[in-house]
Amino acid sequence: MSYPDVALGLILLGLSAYLLFGGADFGAGLWHLVSRRRSDQRVIEHAMGPLWEANHVWLIFVMVMTWTAFPPVFADIMSAHWVPLSLAALGIVARGSTFVFAKAAPDQPWHAPIFGISSVLTPYCFGAVATVVATGGGTWLSPAGLYGGLLTTALCAYLAAVYLIWDARRLGDAEVILRFRGYAMMSGVATGLLALPGAVTFGVHSPLMALSAAAGLASLFLVHHQRLLAVRVTGALAVVTVLWGAAGMAGLDLDRHAAHDAVLQVVFAALGVGALILVPSMVWLFVLFQRGPSRTAS
Amino acid sequence: MSFLPLAADAVAGAATPADFMAARQQMAFTLGFHIILASIGIGLPAITLLAEWRSLRTGDTVYAELARRWMKAAGVLFAVGAVSGTVLSFEMGTLWPGFMDKYGQVFGAAFALEGIAFFIEAIFMGIYLYGWDRLSPKAHFVTGIPVVIAGLLSASFVVTVNSWMNQPRGFKLVDGRVTDVDPLAAMFNPATPVQAMHLILASLMVCGFLVASVYAVALLRDRRAGRVDRYNRLGFAVPFSLGAACAPLQVLVGDWASRFVADNQPAKFAAMEGIEHTQAGVPFRFAVFEIPNALSLMLKFDAHATLRGMDAIPADQRPPAEVVKIAFEVMIVAGMFLLALAAWWAFSWWRARRGAADLPWRGWFLRAATVAGVAAAVAMEAGWTVTEVGRQPWIVYGVMRTEEAVNPNPGLRFGLYVVLVVYAVLAAATVSVLRRMRRRPGSPSPLAEPEKVGT
Repeated sequence: MSYPDVALGLILLGLSAYLLFGGADFGAGLWHLVSRRRSDQRVIEHAMGPLWEANHVWLIFVMVMTWTAFPPVFADIMSAHWVPLSLAALGIVARGSTFVFAKAAPDQPWHAPIFGISSVLTPYCFGAVATVVATGGGTWLSPAGLYGGLLTTALCAYLAAVYLIWDARRLGDAEVILRFRGYAMMSGVATGLLALPGAVTFGVHSPLMALSAAAGLASLFLVHHQRLLAVRVTGALAVVTVLWGAAGMAGLDLDRHAAHDAVLQVVFAALGVGALILVPSMVWLFVLFQRGPSRTAS
Repeated sequence: MSFLPLAADAVAGAATPADFMAARQQMAFTLGFHIILASIGIGLPAITLLAEWRSLRTGDTVYAELARRWMKAAGVLFAVGAVSGTVLSFEMGTLWPGFMDKYGQVFGAAFALEGIAFFIEAIFMGIYLYGWDRLSPKAHFVTGIPVVIAGLLSASFVVTVNSWMNQPRGFKLVDGRVTDVDPLAAMFNPATPVQAMHLILASLMVCGFLVASVYAVALLRDRRAGRVDRYNRLGFAVPFSLGAACAPLQVLVGDWASRFVADNQPAKFAAMEGIEHTQAGVPFRFAVFEIPNALSLMLKFDAHATLRGMDAIPADQRPPAEVVKIAFEVMIVAGMFLLALAAWWAFSWWRARRGAADLPWRGWFLRAATVAGVAAAVAMEAGWTVTEVGRQPWIVYGVMRTEEAVNPNPGLRFGLYVVLVVYAVLAAATVSVLRRMRRRPGSPSPLAEPEKVGT
């Protein structure tokens, strides 16, 4: 396996993580906007990250890896699609700041709608661009772009609903659990109905599409039977296989655009050393977060 | 080069002058915005740790209360800084694809390192914030140290990219193609040490003086009400002392930086000092003042040394001299003002230690200190302007012109308008949220009762 292959693998891994974790954050914002019920919104607020939107780290990772490992690919995508990508970036600004503002100063009524709208805008724009890049042409306003934006937003909403059932149970409200199960089933069916014709139209013949459909169906069954841990796995699989299928379509000539091996060596070494520090400290943070306060004041 | 048919079509044209200017303004504006947040992101954890260290040493609960409040504010500003930093990485591609296309791989590794350092900073900031009541006081203090170190590292890695743009190294150009890339040589280019030190000191000064100026306002209010509130006094003293300690060091590093620019970027230096003609015995000109032969003497230790003027630079390679000169003078004036305030503070502190007098809680000092935060921020923006505008017309000094880098797609100026509106709202909202988070003026703190002074 050559260095560019490893770099591409890491980029795909980063994209998958961003879709699964960041996507669920966006979807949670969508449900926060759609559901007017305070009890639903409380579950959503509780489920999301403690301090800032840490899941954008995956996006930064993907961007830095792309511009370092495949500079012309990054330059072409960013310049050709600067309008939707700038909108996505502003959506991230609006979402990230209203998210932290709402925690620091909870009495402001305008935080919630901006948070919700930007939670839809950003994945829509990313999805539109990703689809246009994968299908090889057009703008974000072309039918392919519109379709990709809608599909990505639906995938995020579905993921969030699936994950949120679990959080609703942790907070122990039977009625909210029931509602999020409803959201998960509804958005699961809608996303499946949206994804299949697209796969047929774009001529995706990858076995990944069959896997996605099977995982989606299994998820419906598991939600119905309240297997909440298992459905997190199948739901994620149903979503991430769509990304992998689309990536397979893109057919980029990466070797021709790849950076020199000396560059990739330094980057991989840095990532390796970084992971040695990052992983244990993340585990520590997680453990601390789960633990209750043991002393009252310093 | 392009692999997308669409991009290939678009690249056919070139950006209009209006779009090109808009791209430069958008980059300058969003970077200028982010740089203040990033400074606070570096400085506030340092100030917090200073306060927590004092609280551990002395058992003074006022320090502990300040540390908590500062770290909460740091959390909010960190989140805003994280998103404004994300915007910058988008703009690298949406505004300057030509730059990224050709040189992304040369400096990309620095951004990978920066990303790792940033993530470590974020995680430890989370540990520090969540650890207040979950870790022993000493362990909690120790978890703050990686926040400061990672913050300094992440800033240094980002600066290596800018210093590389000023002193490009670590690659060869063969028939217009980049080969023989050595990412470490690019990162450790000659401009890196001086630029990194200049920026880190500037960050600590901006944060220190900015936080202190908030408490200077509170102290002035206390004075009018005849109150003495230790919370406000310590809240002023800790960050102001940090800023004051950095000020004289910054003058030395600044001197080093201008000597470096004089040797390596003559066009930028000629613009900074307003040298129009190459001549011997160049006078030092500042605003309306002029000291004969002084600039030659200061720079070369020879009153008759010849310095290169703007006329030695080909006309199409000259930066906008007026902007650079004014920005340089603004930075110097603000820096000298801060240095004077720092000296005042140090002198008073020295006298207070000998028991001769109290620290300067007088009106004029506090009024000047109120302005110090803005002055430090202005100095930083002005210094940044000198670096960036002084490098023009190059995006990579001597190698790639800024016009070659800009996105050729039409309409960039509309992007600028939207960004201006969004950032104006963001700035207003951030200030409003921070104001809501502060302690109500004059209200007794839960931990320390302020002493009332009788009239």
